[in-house]
Amino acid sequence: MSIPTHFNSGRSGQGAAYVSDHEGSEHARFMRLSSYALAPLGVLSAWWLAGLVGETLEGAKAEIGRPFPAIVLICFAIIGMIHARQGMTEIIEDYVHDAALKEKALHWNRIGSIAIAAAWTFGIMLIAAPK
Amino acid sequence: MANAETDARAQKRPLSPHLTIFRPWLTMAMSMAHRITGAGLYLGMALLALYLLGAGMGGWLHALTGWLASGFIGGMIVFLITWAIFHHLLGGIRHALWDRGLYMDKEGRELLAKASLFGGIGLTLLLWILKAIAG
Ligand code: HEM
Repeated sequence: MSIPTHFNSGRSGQGAAYVSDHEGSEHARFMRLSSYALAPLGVLSAWWLAGLVGETLEGAKAEIGRPFPAIVLICFAIIGMIHARQGMTEIIEDYVHDAALKEKALHWNRIGSIAIAAAWTFGIMLIAAPK
Repeated sequence: MANAETDARAQKRPLSPHLTIFRPWLTMAMSMAHRITGAGLYLGMALLALYLLGAGMGGWLHALTGWLASGFIGGMIVFLITWAIFHHLLGGIRHALWDRGLYMDKEGRELLAKASLFGGIGLTLLLWILKAIAG
């Protein structure tokens, strides 16, 4: 699958830039596609996250425990953290050149991103679960 | 990874935020800001995940939840996170426009750099003002 662009690819010609033998273009394409989902999710999530400030715990739970906010926030965290893991991989590959350290950083990035999405999702599920 | 020849070739390729090729500093700053807000959001999401887990589970995590929800510093952190979301989001739209070959000339680039800087601040203020009005 390719996304139409104005750029020429050396391999495939006009309009199909995301082709490469390596993982780079797959990566770039994923960042784009995930960002299309994250844009609306991000605006809605920002709204509900801002609502947490100054709220009592009970009030905050009532607010984000409603089905629509709960589902949007969970989608934002899961898609967001897959996107963030890919993005952080890119950052690590750019700046960490020591091979062993790079492996370690990529490893903790994988674990960290999953842990964050899991903790977030689990927290909201507990909040939203019918008592 | 393992292949020495591939590694050697990879060494020769330019890295992405290629500081040496940047000149107009606002576009450079916005490019860096996209990366910084991305990494900052990673941290921010970690903090919010602990908050949500604390709110759901109770127990010792409650302390963090209370701090984030009612303290000044907690409020500032959430404010910064919403700004980072908006700024990074506009940075993403900028990338999407560039992917289509739009706004790539000098004026276009500068315009997008300014739009993401001021747009990010503006949308953040708008959000908190609307939030204050909505109660
Ligand atoms: C709100 C909606 C979002 C949009 C529209 C968006 C868009 C993008 C795009 C298009 C890129 C690729 C930039 C490039 O190719 O250089 C990117 C990179 C990145 N994003 Fe997002 N993103 C969003 C949310 C998030 C969130 C919530 C996080 C963190 C939890 C995040 C973390 C990152 C990171 C770490 C990078 C890599 C930065 C870099 O390589 O310089 N993004 N984002």
